[in-house]
Amino acid sequence: MDEFLNHLRDQFRQNFRSSNIWIILALIVLGWMATGIYRVEQGELAVIRQFGKMSNVVSPGIHFHLPWPIEKRNVVKVDQIRKMELGFRESSRGSGRAVRAIPTESLMITGDENLVNIMVVIQYRISDLAQFLFQVWDPEGTPEGLTLRDSAETALRGVVGSMQIDDILTTGRSVVQNSTKSHLQELLDLYRTGIQVTEVKLQAVEPPEPVDASFKDVVSAKEDRERIINEAQSYREDILPKARGKAEELIREAEGYKEAKIRESKGDSERFRSMLTEYNKAKDITRRRLYLETMQEVLSGIEKTIISGQVGGKSLPILPLGESSLGGKTTSQKGGN
Amino acid sequence: MNTTWNPIKIIAPVVVVVVLIFGSVYTIDEAEQVIVLEFGGKYVKTVREPGLQFKMPIMHTVTRYSKRLLRHDAAPSEFLTRDKKTLVVDSYVRYRIADPLRFFETLRDVSRANARLDAIISSSLREAVASHDQSDIITDKREPIMDEVKQSATSKAEEFGVEIVDVRIKRTDFPREIAESIFARMRAERNRISKRYRSEGAEEELKVKAQTDKESTIILAEAKRKSQALRGEGDAEAIRIYANSLGKDPEFYTFLRSLEVYRAAIGKESKLVLSTDSPLFRFLESPSGKRK
Repeated sequence: MDEFLNHLRDQFRQNFRSSNIWIILALIVLGWMATGIYRVEQGELAVIRQFGKMSNVVSPGIHFHLPWPIEKRNVVKVDQIRKMELGFRESSRGSGRAVRAIPTESLMITGDENLVNIMVVIQYRISDLAQFLFQVWDPEGTPEGLTLRDSAETALRGVVGSMQIDDILTTGRSVVQNSTKSHLQELLDLYRTGIQVTEVKLQAVEPPEPVDASFKDVVSAKEDRERIINEAQSYREDILPKARGKAEELIREAEGYKEAKIRESKGDSERFRSMLTEYNKAKDITRRRLYLETMQEVLSGIEKTIISGQVGGKSLPILPLGESSLGGKTTSQKGGN
Repeated sequence: MNTTWNPIKIIAPVVVVVVLIFGSVYTIDEAEQVIVLEFGGKYVKTVREPGLQFKMPIMHTVTRYSKRLLRHDAAPSEFLTRDKKTLVVDSYVRYRIADPLRFFETLRDVSRANARLDAIISSSLREAVASHDQSDIITDKREPIMDEVKQSATSKAEEFGVEIVDVRIKRTDFPREIAESIFARMRAERNRISKRYRSEGAEEELKVKAQTDKESTIILAEAKRKSQALRGEGDAEAIRIYANSLGKDPEFYTFLRSLEVYRAAIGKESKLVLSTDSPLFRFLESPSGKRK
């Protein structure tokens, strides 16, 4: 047993001393060299630094650089559109997305000294990789950490601070987006971050919770106003046509009256003319005849008292005239029907 | 052969060579700048170029500083404005180590630089805020204030080899204690606007209704006017026609019309007291019709 172990040890020493040491060294060197092999994916770029100095920017493919500590590489996805949330954080938890509001970030002062909650998503990409990697110190490593966040907050709050709350909540959304974008880009260029802002999107613009009800009431008041005006308009739509109809009716009625009157008078005139023609031919007898005919018609069928002319003058007051008035029947003379 | 393979004899000179090489060679990163000092004291040179650099081994030491844009974010604090209102201002400063030697001599490291800048900026910010009204700071005076602060901080920071690139007011907020009164004011303002909208609605309603009633009244009155005019025309025409025809024998017309009136006026319930003296009954007492 001992012998066997000794033999092994000897064998090992011999091997170690002779050729195997070189093989191990060669393997170590090869392994070291192999750390310099790298792959740049589509949409990525790599920056190679030789002794700290930037020597090369490498496009997609499989490449080799001298291994550490001679050369170093940074491979970065540059084509990717990245995004940063301001005022909230979105985290995908399981199937759904959870949105957590960050009031200290989202609550800001408007130009008319009101408060408003704004949540924004900023989309950006890396436009200058060398600047992105080497120009700005950031506690989170790259400028897309606090540098971008600081700048975005500064830009957004600056823009909101120069606008009225009503504009921000209604028509000014695109103004907020565009001005924030250009201000933010100015800052990022000034700091040489190598970041290009592609879009600033307002996710939510709303009044703070304690005053939300009052703001909603303004909206409903506005709707009330429109509703009331509409009702008034519908009253107008209702009344005016009726009035015009009524007016037409009155006019037509009057026209009818006019025409009727004219025709009536013409009729009467024609009748009179005809009668007059005949009357002129035998004036006296016609006159008598007409009179008597009328009298017959008038006097037949009515109550009448006829008094002789000889007594008439004296005894008229005591005649049965009184009876009818005593009997309580008043003589009502109905005027011409 | 076996006897000459003493590892110590080989390793010792290699170690010495390696120490000398590594002691005389150093690298500067893209984002770095260094100052080289002799025995940690006497200034030799400043190197800003990245890459492989050489120095005297052991004698020379290298102090590295960032060439990047540095950031210091001051904690938000309350400032008093000219109109004696408090405002919470959160600002940050972006700076760069422009002169590493002076930086080394005065501040040595970034955390001390941040502390100094904090003091410088907060004092000039306090001064600047105190010379403006609250509403101006919130709205359009931000930029001038920041420029002002940057100007005064720049000259002070130069002494430390620091270049101020930018000073920004990140946030201005109302102090926490007055948040409720701000909300109360906002509510009052909203209520005012709500009332205005509703009253405008009522105003418009009254206007539209009144206008409608007016127009409708006018339409009807105009119609009545036309109607009366038409009736008048009709009556006038009738008068003309009657006058034209009846005028030919007014006496006959009176006679005819009287007869018609009798016919119409004397009805079933009328009572007549007639005398035999009347022409109608003159034959009632005498066939000759003559009075006795």
